[in-house]
Amino acid sequence: MSPIRLRGEGVEKRYGRVAALRGIDFDVAAGESVAILGANGAGKSSLLKILAGLSRPSSGTFEARDESPSGEALGREALRARVGYVGHATLLYGELTARENLAFAARLHGQRPSRAALDAVLAEFALADVAERRADTFSRGMAQRLAIARAVVHGPSVLLLDEPFTGLDEASGERLQARLLSQRDDGAGAVRTLVVVTHDPRRAVALADRALLVHRGDIHATPARGDDGFDAEALRERLVALASSAEAAA
Amino acid sequence: MNVALTLLWKDLVTEWRSRDRIVAMTVFSFLIVIVFQFAFPEMEQEELTRLTPGLLWVTYVFAAVIGLGRTFATELENEAMTALALAPGTRGWIFLGKATATWLLITLVQVLTALVFALFFRVDLSVGLGGSLAIVAFANVAICSIGTLLSAMSVRSRFREVLLPVLLIPTLIPVLAAAVRGTASSLAGESVGLGLLQPLVVIGGIYLVLSFLLFDYVLDE
Repeated sequence: MSPIRLRGEGVEKRYGRVAALRGIDFDVAAGESVAILGANGAGKSSLLKILAGLSRPSSGTFEARDESPSGEALGREALRARVGYVGHATLLYGELTARENLAFAARLHGQRPSRAALDAVLAEFALADVAERRADTFSRGMAQRLAIARAVVHGPSVLLLDEPFTGLDEASGERLQARLLSQRDDGAGAVRTLVVVTHDPRRAVALADRALLVHRGDIHATPARGDDGFDAEALRERLVALASSAEAAA
Repeated sequence: MNVALTLLWKDLVTEWRSRDRIVAMTVFSFLIVIVFQFAFPEMEQEELTRLTPGLLWVTYVFAAVIGLGRTFATELENEAMTALALAPGTRGWIFLGKATATWLLITLVQVLTALVFALFFRVDLSVGLGGSLAIVAFANVAICSIGTLLSAMSVRSRFREVLLPVLLIPTLIPVLAAAVRGTASSLAGESVGLGLLQPLVVIGGIYLVLSFLLFDYVLDE
């Protein structure tokens, strides 16, 4: 499948009186890998849900465009068919086995994968041995691997991850990071567009080509790989500076 | 349509493994029948026949509220509701799969409840059985349609336990009225014709179509 470009202009998201996003502009190129960094309540997850087609902007425009020669703009339904999403929680059913969870996710996307195809996905995420075990018996690390397997089982063009490293120890986090990097290839010869929300600048630098620093609903900087400010320490300092300026203003 | 069948399969498998809703609804229904047994001791047969449709439907509706309150419980656990919202295509099929699973579970509980009711009160529910079953089937379409929609709407609310019955019971009053009238006729040995089924078919049809169309907005954040 051809990669997808995600673009927004003046995107605002309000929940009642609270503004989660304050008229932001962004452009995620097809096949690009972007990290969204920011403190709690900065608007990161709200932005990710708009990118996934799960939420509509309160105002402004958001467009997902297929970068094939036809270059058609995708409606929300068409976008959802091309998105793999990993949320704060695993989105799994505890009563279903690992294999059943994957089969269910694929069927929701109109696919009927063979047993061999599911076995291949399970093996890719080191879950082949526990394929017939219920998901509610999994450790946090195993559940997170299954959550990502669920997100990619239908071969999406865009992979959106909301704090995928939460609750994982260092070693599990490293293994997950390696698996996510291997998921850049969509298996059909194209590079997936990847957007990952994280608190951790180290993970952002390892996974992304560019970072969006979000603070109180605004994008404050977009350092890219090759720029001076695109390293874990510099990103951390900028996040701390943003938090400090907000505290001082308050 | 495949999405609806997938949801139906998932709901029945998870219910079979957890027995969450079916046990809660069955135990609750049996307890209400026992409460009625104490509330109406030594009733005359004629009076009992007159009250049976009402007593049965009160039990059915309260049990349905319990079951519908748990319809999206498995989706709440790991935010699996988001996974449903991500499914491409018309979200009405998701509604249809969930509503069909609930219809099957509620109907099963109602059959068991009717058997226990007949045992406790010594009433013959086999009179007009076909008509009674038709009324139950059509009334359940209305209950499960609007109930699934309202359950999805209230599931993300902090007040969901209160919100669902407060929203649902008023919408079920016309269903309850038609179902009680139809069941009474059926138990009296009268044939259940179009006149008795028509209100249930119309209300069920309206609730089904409305819920199918509105479900898209319910899953949005």
